[in-house]
Amino acid sequence: MSPLRHKLLRDIRTQRAQFIAVTVTIFLGVTMFAASYDSYQNLTASYESTFTEFRFANLTVAGGDVEGFAAAARSQEGVESVELRTVADIPLQVGGLKLLGRVVGMPADAQPMVNQVSTANYLSIDQPAVVLVEEHMADHFDLAPGSAFEILGATGWRSVTVGGVASSPEYIWPARDRQDLITAPDNFGVAFVVESFARELVGVNGPTEATVYYTDGADNPELSEVLLSRATKAGATASYTRDEQPSNAALSEDLKGFEELAVFFPAMFLAAAAMATYVMISRLVHAQQPHIGVLIANGFTRRQVLRHYLGYGVVPGLAGAIPGAIAGVLLARVITGFYTEMLSVPTTLIQFYPATLVGGVLFGLVTSLIAAAAPARRAARLAPAEAMRGSAPTGGGRASLLERIVPPLRRMPIPWRMALRGIERNPRRSIFTVLGVVLSLMLVLVSWGMLDSIVRLMDRQFVEIQQEDATVYFTGPVGTSEVESLEQMPGVASAEAVLHSPIVLAADGRYETTLVTFEAGTVMHQFFGEDGKVRSLPDDGLLVGKALRDVVGISEGDSVQLVIGDASVQGRIAGFVDEPLGTMAYASRTYAEDVLGSALPATAALIAYDAGVEVQEVRAALVDLENVAAFEDANALYDTVQRFMIFFYVFVGVMLVFGGAMAFALIFSAMSVNIAERTREVATLLAVGTERRQISRMITAENMTVALAGIPLGLGIGYLAAKEAMASFSSDLFAFDLYIRPSTLVISALAILVVALLSQWPGLRAIGRLDIAKIVKDRSL
Amino acid sequence: MAVSLANVWKTYGEGPNAVHALAGVDAEIPAGQFTVILGPSGSGKTTMLNLIGGIDDVTSGDLLVEDIKLTGLGPDDRTAFRRNTVGFVFQFFNLIPTLTALENVELVANLTMHDGAERAAEVLEQVGLGDRLDHFPSMLSGGEQQRVAIARALAKSPPVLLCDEPTGELDFETGRLILGLLRQVNRDLGQTVLLVTHNAAIGEMADRVLRLRSGGIVEDRHNPAPIEAGELIW
Repeated sequence: MSPLRHKLLRDIRTQRAQFIAVTVTIFLGVTMFAASYDSYQNLTASYESTFTEFRFANLTVAGGDVEGFAAAARSQEGVESVELRTVADIPLQVGGLKLLGRVVGMPADAQPMVNQVSTANYLSIDQPAVVLVEEHMADHFDLAPGSAFEILGATGWRSVTVGGVASSPEYIWPARDRQDLITAPDNFGVAFVVESFARELVGVNGPTEATVYYTDGADNPELSEVLLSRATKAGATASYTRDEQPSNAALSEDLKGFEELAVFFPAMFLAAAAMATYVMISRLVHAQQPHIGVLIANGFTRRQVLRHYLGYGVVPGLAGAIPGAIAGVLLARVITGFYTEMLSVPTTLIQFYPATLVGGVLFGLVTSLIAAAAPARRAARLAPAEAMRGSAPTGGGRASLLERIVPPLRRMPIPWRMALRGIERNPRRSIFTVLGVVLSLMLVLVSWGMLDSIVRLMDRQFVEIQQEDATVYFTGPVGTSEVESLEQMPGVASAEAVLHSPIVLAADGRYETTLVTFEAGTVMHQFFGEDGKVRSLPDDGLLVGKALRDVVGISEGDSVQLVIGDASVQGRIAGFVDEPLGTMAYASRTYAEDVLGSALPATAALIAYDAGVEVQEVRAALVDLENVAAFEDANALYDTVQRFMIFFYVFVGVMLVFGGAMAFALIFSAMSVNIAERTREVATLLAVGTERRQISRMITAENMTVALAGIPLGLGIGYLAAKEAMASFSSDLFAFDLYIRPSTLVISALAILVVALLSQWPGLRAIGRLDIAKIVKDRSL
Repeated sequence: MAVSLANVWKTYGEGPNAVHALAGVDAEIPAGQFTVILGPSGSGKTTMLNLIGGIDDVTSGDLLVEDIKLTGLGPDDRTAFRRNTVGFVFQFFNLIPTLTALENVELVANLTMHDGAERAAEVLEQVGLGDRLDHFPSMLSGGEQQRVAIARALAKSPPVLLCDEPTGELDFETGRLILGLLRQVNRDLGQTVLLVTHNAAIGEMADRVLRLRSGGIVEDRHNPAPIEAGELIW
């Protein structure tokens, strides 16, 4: 090994704490990149593979003349298969629990051509009451082949037997529809039944849906455009492409999270590592000026010197990036496996992506090379005579900016003046310390902000907006008296009729959603306008989700075409609501009846419980009623979401640890250099009799002042970054408005300050080990 | 005695690698004496000064400064000793670059008195820098910086002043000025001055010259008629 290589390694060994800090930061950054990017790739591949294997529909069209549409679609170039089926949301009764489930028709003795399911047991026309149960439902209700449950058909409750459990690409994420992406397992389940039985249950003579699979299964927006236009002509009431399919839309949101994670967080870590590397190597070059002078004077080329000092970046870069990339790739396998198992994705595809490994190593290496470049170039350009002469550290003294602006500050105790002036002494290092605090706060606030926002979002939706405790679905349309009779039930405080109808709103654009018709003056739902204020449900128009302003191209007061079932009427937009989940349309019964020109029955009732009631008893009493088909507990969904929150808490916990580690690495590097740069001063102060703790206080004051300066900036930028991150997840499915609790800001700031305080601990401890006698005589310091 | 060394050893390393920087040094330096410690590089002169100043530990032997036994002194007592008993003047001045001349001196003066600003200004006046109080080290010449360093050492009024190559970084004229200043301080304030140098000519201005070689005193010469610093030639 060459002597220079020896020098490099020994220098690194001497300053191992700082090099380890940088290496760990690079390791974490590259690990996060490789883990999240490979997870993203693995999950995308798993979904894609599932979609191809199970021939997941590229387009689904419901309502109108689906057979006519299917015939037209089959003749369309690019279409490989079209399948007709009957799909309906109808009540199921499992173990005494009534829920609004879904029945999906399938061919007998074969897989459908589109939207196949994983099962070894085909349905038989001879045994129509033997059905397949979607995996999530089977898991939740503990259903296995041979189990029995009931489906409410057109002729009453029908007992069926489970013939098998199936997973489907349509229900990897078990969402009822795009407006109802998060569904509690108590409230939703899917049964696949033979097509003829499905029609019998639903009470229809023909199919209700057409599913289309394109050649090779590849998405083709132009083809979708053509087919959607045909669907509209055929009177379709609902249609969605593969991207818009509820389960796939939810999964795409999730994938987007991984994709963002693969860029945003690693970028912050690598930026922190770059800054720490820069600070560290700059100090090294400064301290080694005489050595560099000797090297150049003895004939080393500037290129050799450049390469040597770049080496101080390459070593931690590679030492962090190589194991980081490997750890990330391995972690991605665990994450993918855990994820696909949790979601019951039929096909899990874990692949080795060499590009991730190479990319991860390159990111780490390039980061540290960029960081090392400037100080290494400075080293290579040193004039040898001047470098060898060294310089006593006398330069740079002047009153601090603050003292110049506020002259009375010059009367502060000298240690405070030293602290203030120390900040400006090496502005670049102070700026990097501030940036370290900023980056750490960004990392913490983006993740914690996400948690706070989701908690807030759930409270907003389930506590402030949805006022009902449960929804009761009737076996058929009912009148007001049946709804009112529910109020006589023990434990029921009030009941209100409600009607859910699929609706298409069309103006410049077109949007399929659900029209929810409430009683005028409803107390079961609070409508929050875009200004955040509660408004009442108007009698002269619809309230719609704010996303429709852009999607449909409408404003308050505009007229809009409403397609409800077979009716197409003109309606008026009375205003917009700001709701976190879904984009719905709301109307009062008075307005809906006015527009449609007929009296509307109720299909469901919203229930509010008496205070302190035993919910299970009320539920049992309600589902026992003859005309009650299903019961949906509003709190069950809230509870389900709450259970998922544990993942967020873990995520935020990990991010806090990572943020802390990053802050520690960066602030530790900057502060160690700060202390190293003033070794001579410290030794002199010790020599003249200053106590160690006084010196520690002075240095702490300076370091903490810099860290403190980064706090407001970090909180501001962190808030904006969190806002941007939340906005990137917002769509018509979720409206993620950032909400950060004040306590989160305070705790984050305090946590970073504590980390800053701790990160100078090793440096301060080193003061006690200083060789005063040697240092005060050393001119190179 | 201001300083008393009895069979003082200072050894670095152990076993076959052991280096004896001082090997059984005996010396007694009375209060108010201006002593120059001479010797080539590696003779142990700086080690001796560091031991007397309490910034290094003796390996064996007895060392008393102003009747304080330094052998076995704990860190806190050692700090108190340095604060109250000795003042240092270093070759490289070692001023804090972010503090003005006045602040550099005041910082140290505050260690022993409540408000050291007045005292700092007074000693800076004494060393001829009354008009440079608010100058930062970067604005001062080498000689001026060393004068600030001397003022800093004097600010606490220590009975013993330890100077390690105080002219090593200065030109001839400035060096003589600084030596004159140290001599004047010694005479006016009665402080014991120990000055380490490799420049034999400086010995001519001292009351006493201790010459060291290989860790031992090879010459202990009293100077009956020391010359003034301004008369020194090297």
